Amino acid sequence: MPGTETGTRIRPLDELDIDAIVRIDERISGIYRPEIWEQRVGFYLRRDPGASQVAEAGGKVVGFMLGDLRAGEFGLEEPSGWIERFGIDPDQRGKDLGRQMFAAMVAHFQAGGARSVRTLVDRKDEGVAGFLRALGLSPSPLEALEMRLDAKPTESR
Amino acid sequence: MKVEAISLEKKYHGAVEHWQRHNFKDYETLLDQWEKYFPTDERFCLCAKLELGTSDTIAIGEHKGEKKRLEPEQLSEEEAAHLLAIIKAQASTEFGSIQQHAGTLERADDDQDRFWVLRVMAEELRHGYQMLHLLLSKDWSHVSRGVSGEQMVEEILSMQTGNHVLDAFNLDYDSFIDNITFAAIVDRVGKYQLTMQRICAYRPMADSMPPMLREEAFHLAAGVIPMRRWAQRAAQGDPFITMTAIQHAINKWVPRALEMFGDERGGETNVKFGFKDLKNREAQDQYIEEVQKMIRDINLRFIRARFPAYAPEQADAALAELERARGTHHGVRREDLLRTPDRRFFRRKGEPAFSMVGVDGEPFTDAEEYLRYLSRHLNEGYVASRDMRNYAEALRGVAAGTLAVKDAIMKMPKLKRVGGTCPCSKGVRWVMDGSAADQAASA
Repeated sequence: MPGTETGTRIRPLDELDIDAIVRIDERISGIYRPEIWEQRVGFYLRRDPGASQVAEAGGKVVGFMLGDLRAGEFGLEEPSGWIERFGIDPDQRGKDLGRQMFAAMVAHFQAGGARSVRTLVDRKDEGVAGFLRALGLSPSPLEALEMRLDAKPTESR
Repeated sequence: MKVEAISLEKKYHGAVEHWQRHNFKDYETLLDQWEKYFPTDERFCLCAKLELGTSDTIAIGEHKGEKKRLEPEQLSEEEAAHLLAIIKAQASTEFGSIQQHAGTLERADDDQDRFWVLRVMAEELRHGYQMLHLLLSKDWSHVSRGVSGEQMVEEILSMQTGNHVLDAFNLDYDSFIDNITFAAIVDRVGKYQLTMQRICAYRPMADSMPPMLREEAFHLAAGVIPMRRWAQRAAQGDPFITMTAIQHAINKWVPRALEMFGDERGGETNVKFGFKDLKNREAQDQYIEEVQKMIRDINLRFIRARFPAYAPEQADAALAELERARGTHHGVRREDLLRTPDRRFFRRKGEPAFSMVGVDGEPFTDAEEYLRYLSRHLNEGYVASRDMRNYAEALRGVAAGTLAVKDAIMKMPKLKRVGGTCPCSKGVRWVMDGSAADQAASA
């Protein structure tokens, strides 16, 4: 339901946030890609409504954090909260909105029985990696592995 | 959140499944294709779900601060009768929307859109099942005027498009545009009702709401996201999707959606009894604000698609200019964009019932002129319907002074079918294992 507050608030994502998320992403990346965000918002609203959060300032959405509670993937049977995407309008950074959205997601994950929160990050992206470390996330014993398919493997095992 | 899943007694569970076989034939297709369209999502469960750990204290009304009621007998007779009517109406809407969706589902031009609607239908089936659980799990006999739980279920499962409780569920869909627009507009009212009822003083009702609301979030997305994509296609010149067609569907559903809140002047009883936390007009005001935002976002999607080089601020400025000056912007007219109809437009119930007001709030004084106006602002299939004929007759009577507004309101909806019957069993839908009728229905 529409908010009336003039301050900041954190609330669960809904389908009318797509436009704001597209804008925030466009401000950050310089790319207008509504289809991607329509698909992702649709995914999270059916997958785990209530998990993903947005931050409002003055009644306008200025940040988002998308994720869900999952179990049974990669051999991880215990339910875990996963953070997939997030972004904050550059003009609204430094106001602790990311931490507040993260706290709301953690509360949702804990209510669903999660005992850990997981994500993947590009170590070269110091801004994002630093933000996640500041939230309390640390390197995991799980290792992300990949193999480029556009280059020959150097050695087979 | 912790949720308890509950199945109805076998006889009633079977009755719902039997209803599904007649009214929701693609249900099995959805379950078969679930992994393809909803990979890793929890499988669909035809069951009632009750949220555990919710507040046990009444939040509003004359019993505020008291313990929530757990049994209908703990409510006053007036309260119990009022709540029973709410539950039955809610059940009617859930089953009714499935019947509406089924009519045009196959016309979807996109498989994803079709399967999203199929999932919506399955979850509406679960919501109807939830309401039957509320009717059957407790004793309502002191306020049901001799109608047993079995008879209440029979009544609800016998309803068809045309004799449901609320008008919005008595209109046939004319195309798949209605499937999508209905999800974006009418399901949004559902979200408001469920949200308001989260605080219900009758705890089983309150505990039913959170799981339903979580599912409703996707129903709204299943409407809004295709509408956004259609706006893009319309802007890019797709001859089969036009903003006019979408607008006509909006004009059809918004008036009926507004009426689902009840008369603008009412709703105090719900608040007094602690069943809802907003009166009708308050909820309707918030709803209109939300629809306006949805439509503005879709218009921006249109403008960005028509003018790909525009930055967001340029698109905002173009939209603001079109809304203010109602002129044109590089070939785009105000009429090429969507508008939220005036809250008095095409109303037949509530405070503005049978007033003659256009989409943009323009007043009419002549009934024939207004009906011609409506014929240009609604889709052709709907204009040629029995519903419109009934409305026109009532409007002419009101305009001529031969029919009082309150009597005209009572004539809506005109029942097309009095008492539905099950196609295979002439109204008896209690299913015996292996009965011939059941086998025929599942064949």
